[in-house]
Amino acid sequence: MNTVYFSETYYDLKSLLRTPSFFIPSLAFPLVFYIFFGIILHFSQGHPGYLLVGYGCFGVIAPALFNFSVYVATDRAKGWLTLKRLSPMPMTAYLCAKLLSSLVFAVVIWALLLLLATTAGKVTLAPSQYLLLTAILLLGVIPFALLGLLLGLTFAERSTPAIANLIYLPTAFFGGLWIPIMLFPEALQNVALWLPTFHFAQLAFAVIGADEGIAWYWHVGYLLLFSVVMGAAIRWRWQTLSGD
Amino acid sequence: MKTLLAEMQQLNAGYGSQAVLENVNLTIAAGEVVAVLGINGAGKTTLIKSLLGLMPYQCEHFSLLGYQQHDQRRAANIKQQLGVMLQLGSVSATLTVAEQLLVFRHYYANPKSLAELLEIADLEAVQHHRCGDLSAGQQQRLLLALALCGNPRLLFLDEPTVGMDIHARRRLWQQIAELRQQQVGMLLTTHYLEEAEQLADRVVVLHQGRVIANDSVSSLKSRLNYQRIRCRSSLSQQQLWQLPGVVDVSSERLLTITSKSAPDTLRALLNQDPDLQDLDVQMLSLEHIFLHLTGGQA
Repeated sequence: MNTVYFSETYYDLKSLLRTPSFFIPSLAFPLVFYIFFGIILHFSQGHPGYLLVGYGCFGVIAPALFNFSVYVATDRAKGWLTLKRLSPMPMTAYLCAKLLSSLVFAVVIWALLLLLATTAGKVTLAPSQYLLLTAILLLGVIPFALLGLLLGLTFAERSTPAIANLIYLPTAFFGGLWIPIMLFPEALQNVALWLPTFHFAQLAFAVIGADEGIAWYWHVGYLLLFSVVMGAAIRWRWQTLSGD
Repeated sequence: MKTLLAEMQQLNAGYGSQAVLENVNLTIAAGEVVAVLGINGAGKTTLIKSLLGLMPYQCEHFSLLGYQQHDQRRAANIKQQLGVMLQLGSVSATLTVAEQLLVFRHYYANPKSLAELLEIADLEAVQHHRCGDLSAGQQQRLLLALALCGNPRLLFLDEPTVGMDIHARRRLWQQIAELRQQQVGMLLTTHYLEEAEQLADRVVVLHQGRVIANDSVSSLKSRLNYQRIRCRSSLSQQQLWQLPGVVDVSSERLLTITSKSAPDTLRALLNQDPDLQDLDVQMLSLEHIFLHLTGGQA
Protein backbone atom coordinates (compact mmCIF):
# COMPACT_ATOMS: atom_id res chain seq x y z
CA MET A 1 0.00 0.00 0.00
CA ASN A 2 1.33 3.36 -1.04
CA THR A 3 1.92 5.63 1.95
CA VAL A 4 1.23 8.79 -0.09
CA TYR A 5 -2.48 7.94 -0.14
CA PHE A 6 -2.55 7.42 3.59
CA SER A 7 -0.59 10.54 4.48
CA GLU A 8 -2.55 12.71 2.06
CA THR A 9 -5.87 11.52 3.56
CA TYR A 10 -4.61 11.88 7.12
CA TYR A 11 -3.48 15.47 6.61
CA ASP A 12 -6.58 16.42 4.62
CA LEU A 13 -8.72 15.20 7.53
CA LYS A 14 -6.53 16.99 10.03
CA SER A 15 -6.82 20.19 8.10
CA LEU A 16 -10.64 19.86 7.85
CA LEU A 17 -10.86 19.23 11.59
CA ARG A 18 -9.04 22.51 12.13
CA THR A 19 -11.56 24.38 10.00
CA PRO A 20 -14.66 24.97 12.14
CA SER A 21 -16.35 26.80 9.27
CA PHE A 22 -16.34 23.44 7.48
CA PHE A 23 -17.33 20.91 10.09
CA ILE A 24 -19.72 22.92 12.26
CA PRO A 25 -22.27 23.64 9.51
CA SER A 26 -21.72 20.18 7.98
CA LEU A 27 -22.67 18.51 11.26
CA ALA A 28 -25.10 21.04 12.64
CA PHE A 29 -27.43 21.53 9.67
CA PRO A 30 -28.69 17.94 9.24
CA LEU A 31 -28.72 17.20 12.97
CA VAL A 32 -30.52 20.37 14.04
CA PHE A 33 -33.01 20.06 11.18
CA TYR A 34 -33.65 16.46 12.13
CA ILE A 35 -34.17 17.23 15.81
CA PHE A 36 -36.54 20.05 14.95
CA PHE A 37 -38.52 18.70 12.01
CA GLY A 38 -38.11 14.98 12.63
CA ILE A 39 -38.44 14.65 16.38
CA ILE A 40 -40.01 17.77 17.89
CA LEU A 41 -42.55 18.30 15.10
CA HIS A 42 -43.81 14.74 15.10
CA PHE A 43 -46.50 14.65 12.40
CA SER A 44 -47.09 10.96 11.86
CA GLN A 45 -45.82 7.46 12.55
CA GLY A 46 -43.55 7.19 9.50
CA HIS A 47 -42.31 10.75 9.76
CA PRO A 48 -39.02 10.29 11.72
CA GLY A 49 -38.03 7.42 9.42
CA TYR A 50 -38.70 9.42 6.27
CA LEU A 51 -36.73 12.40 7.51
CA LEU A 52 -33.87 10.19 8.68
CA VAL A 53 -33.38 9.13 5.07
CA GLY A 54 -33.95 12.65 3.69
CA TYR A 55 -31.57 14.37 6.09
CA GLY A 56 -29.15 11.47 5.74
CA CYS A 57 -28.89 12.25 2.00
CA PHE A 58 -28.72 15.97 2.76
CA GLY A 59 -26.03 15.40 5.41
CA VAL A 60 -23.65 13.20 3.42
CA ILE A 61 -23.67 15.45 0.34
CA ALA A 62 -22.30 18.48 2.20
CA PRO A 63 -18.79 17.28 3.16
CA ALA A 64 -18.10 15.94 -0.33
CA LEU A 65 -19.52 18.93 -2.18
CA PHE A 66 -17.76 21.49 0.03
CA ASN A 67 -14.45 19.68 0.54
CA PHE A 68 -14.05 19.35 -3.20
CA SER A 69 -15.33 22.77 -4.23
CA VAL A 70 -14.21 25.21 -1.56
CA TYR A 71 -10.84 23.68 -0.66
CA VAL A 72 -9.84 22.81 -4.22
CA ALA A 73 -10.63 26.42 -5.20
CA THR A 74 -8.48 27.61 -2.29
CA ASP A 75 -5.60 25.28 -3.18
CA ARG A 76 -5.84 26.53 -6.73
CA ALA A 77 -5.95 30.20 -5.78
CA LYS A 78 -2.97 29.91 -3.43
CA GLY A 79 -0.87 28.13 -6.04
CA TRP A 80 -0.80 25.13 -3.76
CA LEU A 81 -2.42 22.86 -6.32
CA THR A 82 0.22 23.89 -8.87
CA LEU A 83 3.00 22.99 -6.44
CA LYS A 84 1.40 19.59 -5.85
CA ARG A 85 0.97 19.01 -9.58
CA LEU A 86 4.67 19.75 -10.07
CA SER A 87 5.64 17.32 -7.33
CA PRO A 88 5.72 13.57 -8.04
CA MET A 89 2.52 13.12 -6.00
CA PRO A 90 0.04 11.12 -8.10
CA MET A 91 -3.01 13.32 -8.66
CA THR A 92 -5.18 10.35 -7.71
CA ALA A 93 -3.73 10.58 -4.19
CA TYR A 94 -4.98 14.14 -3.85
CA LEU A 95 -8.45 13.21 -5.10
CA CYS A 96 -8.73 9.93 -3.16
CA ALA A 97 -7.68 11.75 0.00
CA LYS A 98 -10.41 14.34 -0.43
CA LEU A 99 -12.99 11.62 -1.15
CA LEU A 100 -11.95 9.50 1.83
CA SER A 101 -11.92 12.43 4.24
CA SER A 102 -15.34 13.48 2.95
CA LEU A 103 -16.57 9.94 3.57
CA VAL A 104 -15.25 10.00 7.13
CA PHE A 105 -17.39 13.08 7.76
CA ALA A 106 -20.33 11.47 5.96
CA VAL A 107 -20.06 8.41 8.23
CA VAL A 108 -19.97 10.56 11.36
CA ILE A 109 -23.00 12.59 10.26
CA TRP A 110 -24.94 9.45 9.32
CA ALA A 111 -24.02 7.71 12.59
CA LEU A 112 -25.19 10.68 14.65
CA LEU A 113 -28.45 10.87 12.69
CA LEU A 114 -28.99 7.15 13.22
CA LEU A 115 -28.35 7.55 16.93
CA LEU A 116 -30.92 10.34 17.16
CA ALA A 117 -33.43 8.48 15.01
CA THR A 118 -33.25 5.18 16.85
CA THR A 119 -33.38 6.76 20.31
CA ALA A 120 -35.38 10.01 20.34
CA GLY A 121 -37.09 9.33 16.98
CA LYS A 122 -38.01 5.71 17.86
CA VAL A 123 -37.23 4.60 14.29
CA THR A 124 -37.03 0.83 13.93
CA LEU A 125 -35.70 -0.58 10.69
CA ALA A 126 -34.39 -4.05 9.88
CA PRO A 127 -30.58 -4.44 10.08
CA SER A 128 -30.50 -5.09 6.32
CA GLN A 129 -32.25 -1.75 5.76
CA TYR A 130 -29.65 0.10 7.83
CA LEU A 131 -26.86 -1.61 5.90
CA LEU A 132 -28.37 -0.92 2.51
CA LEU A 133 -29.04 2.72 3.42
CA THR A 134 -25.46 3.14 4.58
CA ALA A 135 -24.13 1.68 1.33
CA ILE A 136 -26.39 3.89 -0.82
CA LEU A 137 -25.54 7.03 1.13
CA LEU A 138 -21.77 6.47 0.93
CA LEU A 139 -21.72 5.50 -2.75
CA GLY A 140 -24.14 8.26 -3.63
CA VAL A 141 -21.62 10.82 -2.39
CA ILE A 142 -19.45 10.29 -5.50
CA PRO A 143 -21.51 12.29 -8.06
CA PHE A 144 -21.60 15.22 -5.64
CA ALA A 145 -17.87 15.01 -5.01
CA LEU A 146 -17.37 15.25 -8.79
CA LEU A 147 -19.76 18.21 -9.01
CA GLY A 148 -17.80 19.89 -6.19
CA LEU A 149 -14.49 19.24 -7.94
CA LEU A 150 -15.79 20.83 -11.13
CA LEU A 151 -16.89 23.91 -9.17
CA GLY A 152 -13.55 24.03 -7.36
CA LEU A 153 -11.65 23.89 -10.64
CA THR A 154 -13.86 26.50 -12.26
CA PHE A 155 -14.74 29.29 -9.87
CA ALA A 156 -12.64 31.78 -7.94
CA GLU A 157 -11.77 31.11 -4.32
CA ARG A 158 -14.08 33.78 -2.99
CA SER A 159 -17.19 32.93 -5.02
CA THR A 160 -16.99 29.14 -4.68
CA PRO A 161 -18.62 28.80 -1.21
CA ALA A 162 -21.57 30.93 -2.30
CA ILE A 163 -21.98 29.04 -5.57
CA ALA A 164 -21.76 25.67 -3.80
CA ASN A 165 -24.46 26.77 -1.34
CA LEU A 166 -26.60 28.09 -4.18
CA ILE A 167 -26.52 24.63 -5.69
CA TYR A 168 -26.67 22.60 -2.48
CA LEU A 169 -29.64 24.15 -0.68
CA PRO A 170 -32.08 24.57 -3.60
CA THR A 171 -31.31 21.16 -5.09
CA ALA A 172 -31.78 19.57 -1.65
CA PHE A 173 -35.16 21.24 -1.31
CA PHE A 174 -36.42 20.72 -4.87
CA GLY A 175 -35.00 17.21 -4.97
CA GLY A 176 -37.38 16.27 -2.17
CA LEU A 177 -34.81 15.74 0.60
CA TRP A 178 -36.80 17.78 3.11
CA ILE A 179 -40.37 17.53 1.84
CA PRO A 180 -41.77 14.78 -0.43
CA ILE A 181 -42.09 16.12 -3.97
CA MET A 182 -45.69 14.85 -4.07
CA LEU A 183 -46.51 17.94 -2.00
CA PHE A 184 -45.08 20.23 -4.71
CA PRO A 185 -47.07 21.70 -7.61
CA GLU A 186 -46.73 19.57 -10.73
CA ALA A 187 -44.33 21.97 -12.49
CA LEU A 188 -41.91 21.66 -9.59
CA GLN A 189 -42.27 17.88 -9.53
CA ASN A 190 -41.01 17.88 -13.11
CA VAL A 191 -38.02 19.99 -12.10
CA ALA A 192 -37.09 17.37 -9.49
CA LEU A 193 -36.68 14.74 -12.21
CA TRP A 194 -33.65 16.68 -13.50
CA LEU A 195 -31.85 16.99 -10.16
CA PRO A 196 -29.17 14.55 -9.00
CA THR A 197 -30.38 15.02 -5.41
CA PHE A 198 -33.80 13.64 -6.37
CA HIS A 199 -32.41 10.46 -7.92
CA PHE A 200 -29.97 9.92 -5.07
CA ALA A 201 -32.69 10.36 -2.46
CA GLN A 202 -35.17 8.14 -4.34
CA LEU A 203 -32.72 5.23 -4.15
CA ALA A 204 -32.45 5.74 -0.40
CA PHE A 205 -36.21 6.27 0.11
CA ALA A 206 -36.88 3.01 -1.77
CA VAL A 207 -35.14 1.13 1.07
CA ILE A 208 -37.91 2.19 3.47
CA GLY A 209 -40.61 2.01 0.79
CA ALA A 210 -41.10 5.77 0.69
CA ASP A 211 -40.01 6.41 -2.89
CA GLU A 212 -42.07 7.73 -5.81
CA GLY A 213 -42.20 4.34 -7.50
CA ILE A 214 -39.76 4.90 -10.34
CA ALA A 215 -37.62 1.80 -11.05
CA TRP A 216 -34.19 1.93 -9.35
CA TYR A 217 -32.24 1.58 -12.61
CA TRP A 218 -33.52 4.96 -13.84
CA HIS A 219 -32.01 6.60 -10.78
CA VAL A 220 -28.77 4.66 -11.06
CA GLY A 221 -28.62 5.42 -14.79
CA TYR A 222 -29.15 9.12 -14.17
CA LEU A 223 -26.46 9.25 -11.49
CA LEU A 224 -23.99 7.34 -13.67
CA LEU A 225 -24.64 9.64 -16.62
CA PHE A 226 -24.34 12.68 -14.36
CA SER A 227 -20.99 11.38 -13.07
CA VAL A 228 -19.70 10.75 -16.59
CA VAL A 229 -20.65 14.28 -17.68
CA MET A 230 -18.99 15.75 -14.57
CA GLY A 231 -15.91 13.60 -15.19
CA ALA A 232 -15.62 14.82 -18.79
CA ALA A 233 -16.02 18.45 -17.72
CA ILE A 234 -13.41 17.98 -14.98
CA ARG A 235 -11.01 16.46 -17.49
CA TRP A 236 -11.48 19.44 -19.79
CA ARG A 237 -11.02 21.94 -16.94
CA TRP A 238 -7.95 20.07 -15.75
CA GLN A 239 -6.29 20.27 -19.15
CA THR A 240 -6.98 23.98 -19.56
CA LEU A 241 -5.71 24.67 -16.06
CA SER A 242 -2.36 26.38 -16.53
CA GLY A 243 -0.71 26.88 -13.19
CA ASP A 244 -2.93 29.85 -12.35
CA MET B 1 31.81 19.28 -20.62
CA LYS B 2 29.29 19.19 -17.81
CA THR B 3 26.10 17.15 -17.97
CA LEU B 4 23.25 19.16 -19.44
CA LEU B 5 20.19 18.87 -17.20
CA ALA B 6 17.95 20.86 -19.48
CA GLU B 7 18.31 21.78 -23.12
CA MET B 8 15.63 23.61 -25.02
CA GLN B 9 15.88 24.80 -28.59
CA GLN B 10 13.63 27.21 -30.46
CA LEU B 11 10.96 27.47 -27.83
CA ASN B 12 7.81 29.34 -28.80
CA ALA B 13 4.99 29.88 -26.38
CA GLY B 14 2.11 32.24 -25.90
CA TYR B 15 -1.49 32.75 -24.89
CA GLY B 16 -3.92 32.30 -27.75
CA SER B 17 -2.60 34.18 -30.78
CA GLN B 18 -0.37 36.39 -28.64
CA ALA B 19 3.24 35.15 -28.71
CA VAL B 20 5.09 35.61 -25.44
CA LEU B 21 8.31 33.72 -26.16
CA GLU B 22 9.93 33.53 -29.57
CA ASN B 23 12.75 31.18 -30.55
CA VAL B 24 14.23 30.93 -27.10
CA ASN B 25 17.21 28.63 -26.56
CA LEU B 26 18.20 27.63 -23.07
CA THR B 27 20.55 25.19 -21.40
CA ILE B 28 21.19 24.43 -17.75
CA ALA B 29 24.16 22.26 -16.82
CA ALA B 30 24.81 20.38 -13.58
CA GLY B 31 26.26 22.76 -11.01
CA GLU B 32 25.31 25.81 -13.04
CA VAL B 33 23.19 28.72 -11.89
CA VAL B 34 21.38 30.42 -14.76
CA ALA B 35 19.68 33.71 -13.93
CA VAL B 36 16.84 34.87 -16.16
CA LEU B 37 16.43 38.61 -16.12
CA GLY B 38 13.82 40.76 -17.75
CA ILE B 39 11.32 43.46 -17.02
CA ASN B 40 7.76 42.45 -16.10
CA GLY B 41 6.11 40.96 -19.17
CA ALA B 42 9.39 39.94 -20.77
CA GLY B 43 8.37 36.26 -20.57
CA LYS B 44 10.20 34.98 -17.47
CA THR B 45 7.16 33.28 -15.97
CA THR B 46 6.10 31.87 -19.33
CA LEU B 47 9.58 30.38 -19.73
CA ILE B 48 9.40 28.63 -16.34
CA LYS B 49 5.84 27.45 -16.97
CA SER B 50 6.86 25.97 -20.34
CA LEU B 51 9.84 24.16 -18.85
CA LEU B 52 7.69 22.74 -16.08
CA GLY B 53 4.90 21.76 -18.44
CA LEU B 54 2.33 24.10 -16.92
CA MET B 55 1.38 25.56 -20.29
CA PRO B 56 1.43 24.51 -23.95
CA TYR B 57 4.44 25.43 -26.06
CA GLN B 58 6.22 24.40 -29.25
CA CYS B 59 9.90 23.67 -29.57
CA GLU B 60 12.29 21.89 -31.84
CA HIS B 61 14.07 19.99 -29.14
CA PHE B 62 13.64 19.73 -25.40
CA SER B 63 15.43 17.29 -23.16
CA LEU B 64 15.05 17.32 -19.41
CA LEU B 65 17.33 15.24 -17.18
CA GLY B 66 18.30 13.18 -20.20
CA TYR B 67 14.77 12.43 -21.38
CA GLN B 68 13.18 13.88 -24.50
CA GLN B 69 10.03 15.82 -23.67
CA HIS B 70 7.48 15.54 -26.45
CA ASP B 71 4.59 17.30 -24.78
CA GLN B 72 3.48 19.12 -21.66
CA ARG B 73 3.37 16.05 -19.46
CA ARG B 74 6.31 15.44 -17.16
CA ALA B 75 6.79 11.84 -16.06
CA ALA B 76 6.93 10.97 -12.37
CA ASN B 77 10.63 9.99 -12.56
CA ILE B 78 11.40 13.51 -13.90
CA LYS B 79 9.34 15.13 -11.17
CA GLN B 80 11.25 13.11 -8.58
CA GLN B 81 14.39 15.00 -9.60
CA LEU B 82 12.93 18.50 -9.90
CA GLY B 83 12.58 21.08 -7.17
CA VAL B 84 10.31 24.05 -7.70
CA MET B 85 9.92 27.23 -5.71
CA LEU B 86 7.18 29.31 -7.27
CA GLN B 87 5.57 32.59 -6.37
CA LEU B 88 2.54 31.56 -4.35
CA GLY B 89 -0.15 33.72 -2.84
CA SER B 90 0.40 31.98 0.47
CA VAL B 91 0.96 28.52 1.86
CA SER B 92 -1.82 26.26 3.11
CA ALA B 93 -3.08 27.82 6.32
CA THR B 94 -4.33 24.92 8.42
CA LEU B 95 -1.32 22.62 8.68
CA THR B 96 1.77 23.31 10.76
CA VAL B 97 5.21 23.82 9.27
CA ALA B 98 6.35 20.33 10.30
CA GLU B 99 3.14 18.71 9.00
CA GLN B 100 3.42 20.47 5.67
CA LEU B 101 7.00 19.27 5.28
CA LEU B 102 5.93 15.72 6.18
CA VAL B 103 3.19 15.85 3.54
CA PHE B 104 5.75 16.71 0.86
CA ARG B 105 8.35 14.22 2.12
CA HIS B 106 5.88 11.46 1.27
CA TYR B 107 5.97 12.43 -2.40
CA TYR B 108 9.63 11.59 -2.89
CA ALA B 109 11.56 8.36 -3.08
CA ASN B 110 14.62 9.67 -1.20
CA PRO B 111 13.50 12.66 0.83
CA LYS B 112 15.58 14.74 3.20
CA SER B 113 14.83 14.26 6.89
CA LEU B 114 12.41 16.60 8.66
CA ALA B 115 15.23 17.90 10.84
CA GLU B 116 17.34 18.73 7.81
CA LEU B 117 14.44 20.51 6.09
CA LEU B 118 13.69 22.57 9.19
CA GLU B 119 17.34 23.52 9.36
CA ILE B 120 17.43 24.53 5.68
CA ALA B 121 14.40 26.75 6.16
CA ASP B 122 15.61 27.99 9.56
CA LEU B 123 12.13 27.26 10.91
CA GLU B 124 12.91 24.96 13.87
CA ALA B 125 11.54 27.53 16.30
CA VAL B 126 8.17 27.76 14.55
CA GLN B 127 7.80 24.16 13.39
CA HIS B 128 4.56 23.70 15.33
CA HIS B 129 3.01 26.96 14.15
CA ARG B 130 0.34 26.93 11.48
CA CYS B 131 1.74 27.83 8.06
CA GLY B 132 -0.88 30.57 7.77
CA ASP B 133 0.65 32.37 10.77
CA LEU B 134 4.14 32.63 9.26
CA SER B 135 5.62 35.92 8.09
CA ALA B 136 6.16 36.44 4.37
CA GLY B 137 9.87 35.69 4.72
CA GLN B 138 9.22 32.51 6.74
CA GLN B 139 6.73 31.35 4.10
CA GLN B 140 9.35 31.86 1.40
CA ARG B 141 11.81 29.77 3.43
CA LEU B 142 9.22 27.04 3.89
CA LEU B 143 8.67 27.01 0.13
CA LEU B 144 12.42 26.62 -0.35
CA ALA B 145 12.45 23.64 2.01
CA LEU B 146 9.52 22.10 0.09
CA ALA B 147 11.46 22.57 -3.16
CA LEU B 148 14.49 20.82 -1.69
CA CYS B 149 12.45 18.03 -0.07
CA GLY B 150 13.31 15.36 -2.64
CA ASN B 151 17.03 16.19 -3.15
CA PRO B 152 16.46 17.63 -6.64
CA ARG B 153 19.09 17.62 -9.39
CA LEU B 154 17.45 20.58 -11.08
CA LEU B 155 15.95 23.45 -9.14
CA PHE B 156 13.66 26.23 -10.35
CA LEU B 157 13.64 29.35 -8.20
CA ASP B 158 11.12 31.99 -9.21
CA GLU B 159 12.05 35.20 -7.41
CA PRO B 160 13.10 33.28 -4.31
CA THR B 161 14.13 36.18 -2.10
CA VAL B 162 11.00 38.33 -2.45
CA GLY B 163 9.83 39.21 1.04
CA MET B 164 13.01 37.98 2.73
CA ASP B 165 15.02 40.25 4.98
CA ILE B 166 18.70 40.83 4.24
CA HIS B 167 19.78 38.10 6.67
CA ALA B 168 17.54 35.45 5.13
CA ARG B 169 18.56 36.56 1.66
CA ARG B 170 22.28 36.12 2.40
CA ARG B 171 21.52 32.74 3.90
CA LEU B 172 19.68 31.65 0.77
CA TRP B 173 22.55 32.84 -1.38
CA GLN B 174 24.87 30.69 0.68
CA GLN B 175 22.53 27.70 0.30
CA ILE B 176 22.46 28.22 -3.46
CA ALA B 177 26.25 28.26 -3.52
CA GLU B 178 26.32 24.97 -1.57
CA LEU B 179 23.79 23.37 -3.91
CA ARG B 180 25.91 24.43 -6.85
CA GLN B 181 28.86 22.62 -5.27
CA GLN B 182 26.69 19.51 -5.01
CA GLN B 183 26.20 19.76 -8.80
CA VAL B 184 22.57 20.89 -8.63
CA GLY B 185 21.58 22.90 -11.71
CA MET B 186 19.46 25.97 -11.03
CA LEU B 187 17.28 28.35 -12.98
CA LEU B 188 16.69 31.56 -11.08
CA THR B 189 14.50 34.51 -11.95
CA THR B 190 15.01 37.64 -9.96
CA HIS B 191 14.30 41.34 -9.88
CA TYR B 192 17.43 41.97 -7.86
CA LEU B 193 20.32 42.36 -10.25
CA GLU B 194 22.72 42.20 -7.33
CA GLU B 195 21.42 38.69 -6.72
CA ALA B 196 22.10 37.62 -10.29
CA GLU B 197 25.54 39.20 -10.12
CA GLN B 198 26.34 37.34 -6.89
CA LEU B 199 24.95 33.94 -7.83
CA ALA B 200 24.71 33.40 -11.53
CA ASP B 201 27.25 31.63 -13.69
CA ARG B 202 25.28 32.79 -16.65
CA VAL B 203 22.71 35.50 -17.25
CA VAL B 204 19.93 35.19 -19.81
CA VAL B 205 18.29 38.52 -20.55
CA LEU B 206 14.77 38.26 -21.92
CA HIS B 207 13.28 41.23 -23.66
CA GLN B 208 9.91 41.21 -25.40
CA GLY B 209 9.96 37.43 -25.53
CA ARG B 210 13.42 37.07 -27.06
CA VAL B 211 16.79 36.26 -25.58
CA ILE B 212 18.89 39.39 -26.12
CA ALA B 213 21.88 38.23 -24.07
CA ASN B 214 23.08 34.87 -22.80
CA ASP B 215 26.51 35.09 -21.25
CA SER B 216 28.49 35.12 -18.02
CA VAL B 217 28.29 38.28 -15.93
CA SER B 218 31.96 39.05 -16.60
CA SER B 219 31.67 38.62 -20.38
CA LEU B 220 28.61 40.79 -20.40
CA LYS B 221 30.57 43.42 -18.55
CA SER B 222 33.56 43.22 -20.83
CA ARG B 223 31.33 43.24 -23.90
CA LEU B 224 30.09 46.62 -22.83
CA ASN B 225 33.44 47.95 -21.81
CA TYR B 226 32.35 51.28 -20.37
CA GLN B 227 33.29 52.78 -17.05
CA ARG B 228 31.42 55.17 -14.84
CA ILE B 229 33.11 58.21 -13.40
CA ARG B 230 31.32 59.89 -10.53
CA CYS B 231 32.49 63.21 -9.12
CA ARG B 232 31.66 66.81 -8.33
CA SER B 233 32.98 69.18 -10.96
CA SER B 234 32.72 72.86 -11.75
CA LEU B 235 32.75 72.20 -15.51
CA SER B 236 29.62 72.81 -17.56
CA GLN B 237 27.69 69.97 -19.23
CA GLN B 238 28.92 71.19 -22.60
CA GLN B 239 32.56 71.08 -21.49
CA LEU B 240 32.08 67.60 -20.07
CA TRP B 241 30.60 66.28 -23.31
CA GLN B 242 33.70 67.46 -25.15
CA LEU B 243 36.08 65.40 -23.01
CA PRO B 244 37.65 62.40 -24.80
CA GLY B 245 35.81 59.07 -24.49
CA VAL B 246 32.58 60.46 -23.01
CA VAL B 247 29.39 58.69 -24.16
CA ASP B 248 26.96 59.96 -21.54
CA VAL B 249 26.70 62.66 -18.89
CA SER B 250 24.04 62.84 -16.24
CA SER B 251 23.82 64.63 -12.93
CA GLU B 252 21.70 63.72 -9.98
CA ARG B 253 23.33 64.20 -6.60
CA LEU B 254 26.73 63.51 -8.14
CA LEU B 255 27.78 63.98 -11.71
CA THR B 256 27.88 60.68 -13.60
CA ILE B 257 29.98 60.41 -16.73
CA THR B 258 29.94 57.21 -18.78
CA SER B 259 33.15 56.75 -20.73
CA LYS B 260 34.46 54.20 -23.17
CA SER B 261 37.99 55.18 -22.19
CA ALA B 262 38.16 56.23 -18.55
CA PRO B 263 41.95 57.01 -18.45
CA ASP B 264 41.63 59.52 -21.30
CA THR B 265 38.52 61.11 -19.87
CA LEU B 266 40.01 61.34 -16.39
CA ARG B 267 43.28 62.87 -17.61
CA ALA B 268 41.41 65.60 -19.44
CA LEU B 269 38.95 66.10 -16.61
CA LEU B 270 41.69 66.55 -13.98
CA ASN B 271 43.51 68.94 -16.28
CA GLN B 272 40.52 71.13 -16.88
CA ASP B 273 38.98 71.08 -13.40
CA PRO B 274 41.46 71.58 -10.53
CA ASP B 275 38.55 71.65 -8.02
CA LEU B 276 37.36 68.12 -8.83
CA GLN B 277 35.96 66.32 -5.72
CA ASP B 278 34.53 62.99 -4.56
CA LEU B 279 36.02 61.11 -7.51
CA ASP B 280 34.98 57.48 -7.95
CA VAL B 281 35.54 55.22 -10.98
CA GLN B 282 33.63 51.95 -11.44
CA MET B 283 33.09 49.21 -13.95
CA LEU B 284 29.49 49.20 -15.11
CA SER B 285 27.32 47.03 -12.85
CA LEU B 286 24.95 44.41 -14.21
CA GLU B 287 22.17 46.90 -13.67
CA HIS B 288 23.70 49.36 -16.12
CA ILE B 289 24.30 46.61 -18.65
CA PHE B 290 20.72 45.50 -18.23
CA LEU B 291 19.45 49.05 -18.76
CA HIS B 292 21.64 49.40 -21.81
CA LEU B 293 20.46 46.08 -23.30
CA THR B 294 16.78 46.69 -22.72
CA GLY B 295 16.87 50.28 -23.93
CA GLY B 296 16.54 51.95 -20.56
CA GLN B 297 13.44 50.17 -19.28
CA ALA B 298 13.78 48.76 -15.80
